[in-house]
Amino acid sequence: MDFELTDDQLELQRTVRDVLAQECPPDLVRAVTEGGAADELWDTLVSLDWPGLTIATEHGGTGYSWVELAIVLEEFGRAVAPGPFLATVTQFASAVRAVATPHQASHWLPLVASGAVTGAFAVDEGAGTWLLDGVSAAATCDGEDLVLAGTKRYVLDGATADEIAVVVRLDAQLRVVVVPRSALGVDAFAPIDATSVHADLDLDGCRVPVDRLLGEGDATEAISAAIDEALVAISVSTVGTCQRILELDVEYAKERRQFDVPIGSFQAVKHKLADMYRDVERARALSYFAALCLAEGDSRAAVAASMAKAAAGECQQRCTQDGLQIFGGIGYTWEHDLHLYLRRAKVGELTFGGASQHRQRVARLTLAGGLA
Amino acid sequence: MRLHNDSATEAFRTEFSDWLDENLPDPAEATERPHSSADTPAWARAFQAKMFDDGWLVPAYPPEFGGRNAGLFEQLVYFEELGRRDVTRSFNPQGLGIVGASIVSFGNDQQKRDYAIPILRAEMMAALGMSEPNAGSDLAGLTTRAAIDGDEFVVSGQKVWTSGAHDADMILAFVRTDPDAPKHKGISALIIDTDTPGVTRRPFADITGPDHTDFNEVFFDDVRVPRKNLVGELNDGWRICNGALAHERAMLWIMWSQGLDKMLREFLSELRGTAKADDPVVLDKVGKLVADAQSLRLLGNRQLAKQQRGLVPAEQSILKMMGSEAQREVALLAVEALGPAALDQRRVPGHSSVFASDKHVVTWFNRYLFGFAGTISGGTSEIQRNIIAERVLGLPR
Ligand SMILES: Cc1cc2nc3c(=O)[nH]c(=O)nc-3n(C[C@H](O)[C@H](O)[C@H](O)COP(=O)(O)OP(=O)(O)OC[C@H]3O[C@@H](n4cnc5c(N)ncnc54)[C@H](O)[C@@H]3O)c2cc1C
Repeated sequence: MDFELTDDQLELQRTVRDVLAQECPPDLVRAVTEGGAADELWDTLVSLDWPGLTIATEHGGTGYSWVELAIVLEEFGRAVAPGPFLATVTQFASAVRAVATPHQASHWLPLVASGAVTGAFAVDEGAGTWLLDGVSAAATCDGEDLVLAGTKRYVLDGATADEIAVVVRLDAQLRVVVVPRSALGVDAFAPIDATSVHADLDLDGCRVPVDRLLGEGDATEAISAAIDEALVAISVSTVGTCQRILELDVEYAKERRQFDVPIGSFQAVKHKLADMYRDVERARALSYFAALCLAEGDSRAAVAASMAKAAAGECQQRCTQDGLQIFGGIGYTWEHDLHLYLRRAKVGELTFGGASQHRQRVARLTLAGGLA
Repeated sequence: MRLHNDSATEAFRTEFSDWLDENLPDPAEATERPHSSADTPAWARAFQAKMFDDGWLVPAYPPEFGGRNAGLFEQLVYFEELGRRDVTRSFNPQGLGIVGASIVSFGNDQQKRDYAIPILRAEMMAALGMSEPNAGSDLAGLTTRAAIDGDEFVVSGQKVWTSGAHDADMILAFVRTDPDAPKHKGISALIIDTDTPGVTRRPFADITGPDHTDFNEVFFDDVRVPRKNLVGELNDGWRICNGALAHERAMLWIMWSQGLDKMLREFLSELRGTAKADDPVVLDKVGKLVADAQSLRLLGNRQLAKQQRGLVPAEQSILKMMGSEAQREVALLAVEALGPAALDQRRVPGHSSVFASDKHVVTWFNRYLFGFAGTISGGTSEIQRNIIAERVLGLPR
């Protein structure tokens, strides 16, 4: 294999980093955290055609592979970029692409690519595992309409997205229905990280035309594949955030002096940073491997996605904990930017199943012969 | 980025794989086992020599040293094929990988002919004399003294941990030739034949059992070593310590990666179908280790890809630490999963091929203990963390 970015990919990485340094500085993240909006950032991303990065050119996208998407997501995580990108591109669009008929895809994907529609993906109903056997929300046919019942929880951008891809049961089959947010009861969280706001959704009594039901027949496998894409996206974005925490810590450890020496000369600090570095590199490698499996349609994609999610979870745990400890008192202030990163890193772990759940999935898939 | 190799690399794999099909010894003949890391059974000597002669021993070397000037990814698939079949190249790994490699890199023509090639062809067994009772992690603090007397060195002092020395024909010893210079600058590398008068080797058992004698104390009492046995320049030995693995440095991670894969494979095959295979605590740990193994392979591949592009990769520093620690973890998990059954040393997992080098480390408990060989020798895990912090992250010393 060739496991390093190509020159073009490195160029993309530089471009995205430059754009975000300009358009999404820590001040913007802080402003959002203190109640502000980031609409201009989204407008900029739309003007750069980034929402359509991996959408096929026939649907108005750029047609890049999942590796390019991973590059962008890592930079978004690094900058703690707020806004609808993650949920729209890596959850809503993934679900639509995986499940929809070609005709439906040609309706929805161009809307995503052009930035006309933002989206979300509603799966979990309270177990916090995003496992499909926990889905009991139901759709029933009533003439030309579908009538929904049940609740969805922990939906990223559930309170703000235009359209929500909702996983439901219909006649014992798992299906996805695209529902306008305005048709749902929405209960938005007071979030620990204001750059990624989750919401609970009440489906009861919601009525949508039947052509919003995606695909034909049971979509369990396609939905799982879409969830795997969401996992990889969260992982690589978490890697970016943790990379930034590591950089901030290393900088600080060189600068801050106590006992007449930089604190970075103390071995207790050095070894923490060495372990953070290892965990970031490990999680990054596994995240890009998963992205590469998605890009090439490799059969290891599912186990790779869970390895990535588990590794990102382990990485954020170390980077948030030791990352804050190394800063001492200054890191414990609202004024210091560190907490912006810590919050974002933690959010990823708490959604779509935590590290332990994914380690167990990796083990089960491997025992069953999934990573030969 | 792509998942698969180009066809030329795969053709190289096929060529080597075919060669192995043709030339691997008959397992029925490979019954004699080595009893130290410098003891190579006759069948294994013959096989190693055959690999050398056919240019398959160290593919990165030119043909005169048993290679074929192979590229980085060719070397990778070569090791993958060896690993897949659980075949070891040499039962004197420090001879092939460090002593022989040092002489190929730094020795003169005569030393290459008289030592490097015989070591590579398994006609001569080698030991590595670096560590001393007071020079372990702080290797540059070594005090074994070599004074110049005419065209000889007179060596006195002591080495310890010298793996396989009692079965070795020669020791590559790092000695102090300038006691007045700063400590890294007064060291030289000498080839010392073990039958030279004044060399005493005292083997002693390691933690895995009283019969497992690989370690040695080696005493030098006014040992006279001809000046022609100096490898490289006088007082330039530190460079050799650091550059000893130059030819296959890019491939070092493979050893950790394959060792880990193998242990994991064996553990999973034991676990499958047992009640523990449904135990969430066990599964949680298995998942972590599977991810460790995969990330090691990925980081190793990324290192190669960077080298291929002419970049200087930093991955190396984490691979040894990750690999050795993960190996120890797999063995520990296996011990814990076996529970009381692990108490009985007669319980021996029978997976290793007859061509594998680790036949002596059989029970999971011994494998766990052996795991510490990885985290202690060749730069402890703590030293690796220092290196990452200082050289990769740039923190002050
Ligand atoms: C199986 C095995 C085979 C070996 N084979 C050989 C061989 O063939 N030839 C040879 O020359 N040597 C050999 N060695 C020796 C090996 O290289 C040394 O054991 C190793 O370098 C550590 O040195 P030490 O044992 O003196 O431990 P020490 O250096 O005394 O270390 C003791 C503890 O202190 C820690 N420590 C030391 N310095 C630091 C520091 N700066 N920062 C943080 N922690 C520190 C270490 O990490 C360790 O935990 C072998 C060792 C083993 C276990």
